[in-house]
Amino acid sequence: MVLVALAGMVVGYWANAAFFPGTSPQQPIDFSHKVHAGDNEIPCQYCHVQARRSVSAGVPSVNKCMGCHLEVATDRPQVRLLTNYWESGEPVPWIKVHDLPDFVHFTHKRHVAAGIECQTCHGAVESMDVVSREAPVKMGLCLACHRENEVEHGTDCWTCHK
Amino acid sequence: MSFLDRFIDGWRRYRRPGYYEKFDYAWTMSIDLDRCTGCQACVTACQAENNTPIVGEKELAKGREMQWIRIERYWEGEYPNAKLKFIPMLCQQCDAAPCETVCPVSATYHNQDGLNAQVYNRCIGTRSCAVYCPYEVRYFNYNNHHWDSPLEQQLNPDVTVREKGVMEKCTFCVQRIRQAKDHAKDDGRRRVKDGEVQPACVQTCPSEALAFGDRNDPGSKVSQKLSDPRAYHVLDELNTLPSVVYLKKVDADAG
Repeated sequence: MVLVALAGMVVGYWANAAFFPGTSPQQPIDFSHKVHAGDNEIPCQYCHVQARRSVSAGVPSVNKCMGCHLEVATDRPQVRLLTNYWESGEPVPWIKVHDLPDFVHFTHKRHVAAGIECQTCHGAVESMDVVSREAPVKMGLCLACHRENEVEHGTDCWTCHK
Repeated sequence: MSFLDRFIDGWRRYRRPGYYEKFDYAWTMSIDLDRCTGCQACVTACQAENNTPIVGEKELAKGREMQWIRIERYWEGEYPNAKLKFIPMLCQQCDAAPCETVCPVSATYHNQDGLNAQVYNRCIGTRSCAVYCPYEVRYFNYNNHHWDSPLEQQLNPDVTVREKGVMEKCTFCVQRIRQAKDHAKDDGRRRVKDGEVQPACVQTCPSEALAFGDRNDPGSKVSQKLSDPRAYHVLDELNTLPSVVYLKKVDADAG
């Protein structure tokens, strides 16, 4: 009985990981953060310009991408895909990787202003070809950091829950 | 210190508002009943701001309406000389709240700003708090509610859309308080200025019957209302120490 239950858990875990890969979805374009932020050392906030100004860090517009890719690496197949979006005037339907539940209020602006590194919550994105959720962005991570840095009222539920 | 002294000391501390010595901000609302015309603008504003569902006729008949702020009507006298009085009733954000003591999972608690907080994702829906609330201002989601297109476009992204089995109530528009604090930090200020934050109901009240502010600040608009001789708390005898203060309607005919 115990063995069956254990086997069920293992199978369930495997099936969950294999068929519901929520942490690193297939994006419409195989964009590599490693090439951009890692090898070419483009700062995070060059593209994610809203991070220091807004609640949401924002995904760069196709316009932002084409600022470089009108000239750079125009012959690559993945860049051609981007050019197609640019020419048809469509936004790229990126899939959100670090998606917080709707009952959480998180503001990028406050955390960037406080000097928190992007990598604290997002993991070493500059070394990832395909972004996946590496840092455990859960309540424990938030609370541990708030406690450590003695954030004013940082452990009050209504600081983050809405 | 004897056992009895310690017991009394502990009990006193427990009865202290929200177990805090002093609130950081003590958000308070004053409602001037002389000015209230019962127009229900606050009700509508609240519904729009806080993603409160409109339950429909069938659910309403079962007494499952959802209005974080409601206008209670009181008729006085018989037809030719009938008088109508209004009281806007919302969560009183009691400093000694009966609802907080019963929650088995601490989904409702008092925070450092003197607010009676409700954490939706923690709530397991025992509805004990609604039973204990003497003001009857806690509302339970008996169903998942949906908004017909295009109404879902006006949902406030700063407020959770509550799901079935969750208790909800007035939050004094905590999302606006949070935003005001955020702006204060951007300006390099430590404190939010008086009048900088207004819940939706206060903002919309056409006769300015409602005022909102910090009663710790003696210069705030709401502090001045507190010293008004007409000021009273609803069900004061229950010692719930409400944060909503009402200014009595002055009746010219009354002796």
